[in-house]
Amino acid sequence: MKNEYLPYKVTIASIQKESFDTNTYKVVFDDEKTRDSFDYRQGQFAEISILGVGEAPISITSSPSRKGYLEFSIRAAGSLTNKIHEMKVGDSLYVRGPYGNSFPYEETKGKNIYFIAGGIGLPPLRSLINMTMDNRSDFGHIKILYGSKTPDELCFKQELDEWKKVENTEVWLIVDKPCDGWGCSIGVVTELWKDTDIHPKNAVAFVCGPPIMIKFVVQKLTQSGFKDKDIIMTLERYMKCGIGKCGHCNVGEKFVCVDGPVFTYEEIKKIPSREKVI
Amino acid sequence: MKLKKILQKDVEKLLGEAAKKWQTYVPSKNDEGDTLFAILPKEKDELEKALQRVNLKDDWVAISPKEIFFPQVENMFSFDKERITEEIETSKKLIFGIRPCDLKGVLFADEFFKRNLEDIYYLSRIEDRLIVTIGCNTPPRKEACFCTSANTGPFAKEGFDLELVDAGNYYLVEVGSVKGEEFINLYSAFFEDAGDDEAEKLNSIESDAKEAINVKVDFDKALEIMKGDKDLTENYKRIGERCIYCGGCVYTCPSCTCFNVFDDKLGDNGVRRRNWDTCVFRGYTREASGHNPRDEKWTRTARRYEHKLKYDYSVTGTSGCIACGRCLSSCPVNIGMSKFIEEITTNKRNM
Repeated sequence: MKNEYLPYKVTIASIQKESFDTNTYKVVFDDEKTRDSFDYRQGQFAEISILGVGEAPISITSSPSRKGYLEFSIRAAGSLTNKIHEMKVGDSLYVRGPYGNSFPYEETKGKNIYFIAGGIGLPPLRSLINMTMDNRSDFGHIKILYGSKTPDELCFKQELDEWKKVENTEVWLIVDKPCDGWGCSIGVVTELWKDTDIHPKNAVAFVCGPPIMIKFVVQKLTQSGFKDKDIIMTLERYMKCGIGKCGHCNVGEKFVCVDGPVFTYEEIKKIPSREKVI
Repeated sequence: MKLKKILQKDVEKLLGEAAKKWQTYVPSKNDEGDTLFAILPKEKDELEKALQRVNLKDDWVAISPKEIFFPQVENMFSFDKERITEEIETSKKLIFGIRPCDLKGVLFADEFFKRNLEDIYYLSRIEDRLIVTIGCNTPPRKEACFCTSANTGPFAKEGFDLELVDAGNYYLVEVGSVKGEEFINLYSAFFEDAGDDEAEKLNSIESDAKEAINVKVDFDKALEIMKGDKDLTENYKRIGERCIYCGGCVYTCPSCTCFNVFDDKLGDNGVRRRNWDTCVFRGYTREASGHNPRDEKWTRTARRYEHKLKYDYSVTGTSGCIACGRCLSSCPVNIGMSKFIEEITTNKRNM
C-alpha cells in the first residue's frame, strides 16, 4: 500500500514575481524516478510543504504538455505560503500528489473556449490554457477574460501578451482600479460582456476566481444561454490530506479534493447554498 | 460452529493468556472511575494489576474504540535534514469487549478509510485484529442509547469474530468468523459447548435486552426526511443558538473520522502528526485568506446532522449515526442525535 502522505523533495529552479503578493515557483523533483512518475492532468493540485511549518494544497499551474518540472503560483497568505515567499532558487520544498480530478480536455476539442478568471484564479486555469495553446488547432475560438483589482495583481503578464498573439485567440483584461497608462477596460470581470460577444454556441466556459466573482460570472453565463453542464469551475476549500480523508473540504456529499476541484455548475447547484462554494 | 460458553470467572485468566500473544485492548476502569479501552501490559505484576481493572459490565465506555485504530493524536512520519521516516503501526490486536453499536462505528470507519485513496495509517492498524463484542443486556447509557431504532444493537449480527452474551455466571459465545473459531480452538481449555437449550436462552436474553432500551425514535423516517428537500434551517438555527460548539459530540462519536495535520519541530528534527478535528469548530473551514464558508454557527450544526443522516447514507447506504447516544450523554447542553431525530420526525420541539 502506498503511503499517500509522504512528500518528496523538490528544488526550486526559478521564481517569477507575478504581483506584490504572488510568485510562480518552478520546481524539479530531486529524485529522477519521482520526476518521471509524477504524471498529472490539467486542473489537478499537489500538497506542498515545508517540513516543520506545514502543508497546503496548491493547484499545478504548469501544463502536462510541458515535461520535467512543475509550476505553482503561490500567494503569500498564511504561515506556510509566507515562508515559501522567503525562499530562494536552490532551496527545497516537499511535494506530494497529484490529487483531484481534472478539467475535461478531449471532450472540449473542436469547441469554442472561454477562460474567465479573477485575480489568483488564473493560475489553476493556466495549466489547461497552455495545453490548448500547445494543441491550438484542436480547438475553435478561444477567449480569455481576466480581471483583477489592480493591473499589478494580474498574473502571467508576459504570457497574456503571448496568448494574445496566437491566431484565433483573444485576451480581454479588466481591472477595478487602473493605473496611469492602463489601456484596457475598467470594472469587474462581468463588465467585459459589454466589450465582447460571449456566445454559448458550441462553447464551454472555464471559470476560476473568488467565490463572489464566480457567482456573478455564472449568472452572466447562464443569462447568455450557457447550459449548466458547460460551465466548468474549479473550487478552493480549506484542505489537509488531499485524499478524501481529513474531511475539511467536504461539501454536501462531495470532497473537493477527490470529487473536485473541478465541478460543473450542474453539480454545484446540488450543494446547499449555505455552504457558499460559490 | 456451535454456540460456546465460558465461565465469567475464567475470562480474567483467558485475557491474561491472550495478552501474551496479542496487543489486548479491554474496557478498564481508571483511577478517576471512567471506563476506557486500555492495553493489557505484558509484564506479570503489571498484568495482574491491570486485570483487576477490567470492566465488562454494562458501563459507559466514554471514548469509542475507534481510537484504537484512529488515535486522538498519531505520528505520520518523522523527519530531519536528511530523510523522512514513516511511522506505521501493525501490531496484532485483540479488542475484547467492544459494544455492538461501537462495532458498527469501527466497520463504518474501516470502509471510509479504504474508500478513494487508501489511508495507510488506519489500514495498517486494522490489518491483524480480532474483535470480541459483548452484547448489552442493559443499555450502558440509559437515557441515551437508542440502538434498537437504528438496528445497531443491543446484540451484534455481523462483523465480529466472537460475541459474548452475559448469561449469569457465564457468557454464551457466538462465533462469527474463522478467526474467531481459531481463537476458541487455541484457548479451548476455557471454552465448552453450550447446552442444547442455550440457543433459546440467548433469544430470550436478546428480547429482554431490546425491551430494556428506553429511547425509541423513528430512525428510518428521519433518513427519508433528510434525503428529501425539507428545509430544516429553522431547526439548525435554533439548535445552533444553544450549542456551545465544544466538540464533545464528535470526539466521542464512533464514526467521526476528521483530522487535522500539523508539524512539531525542534531544531532540525520534527514529526508530522495528525489529531482529531471536527466540523463544529469555526476554524475547520477557515482558509488562509480569512474567507470562512461556515463562519455562521448554525451552518456547522447543519453540516453535522446532514453528514451523518444524509450524505453518509447516500454515499454508503449506511447512516453515519450508529445510535450509541454518546453525543447526547457527553453534551453539556443536552443536544443529541436522538433528540434531533425525534424533533424532525414528530415536529415537536425538544431542544
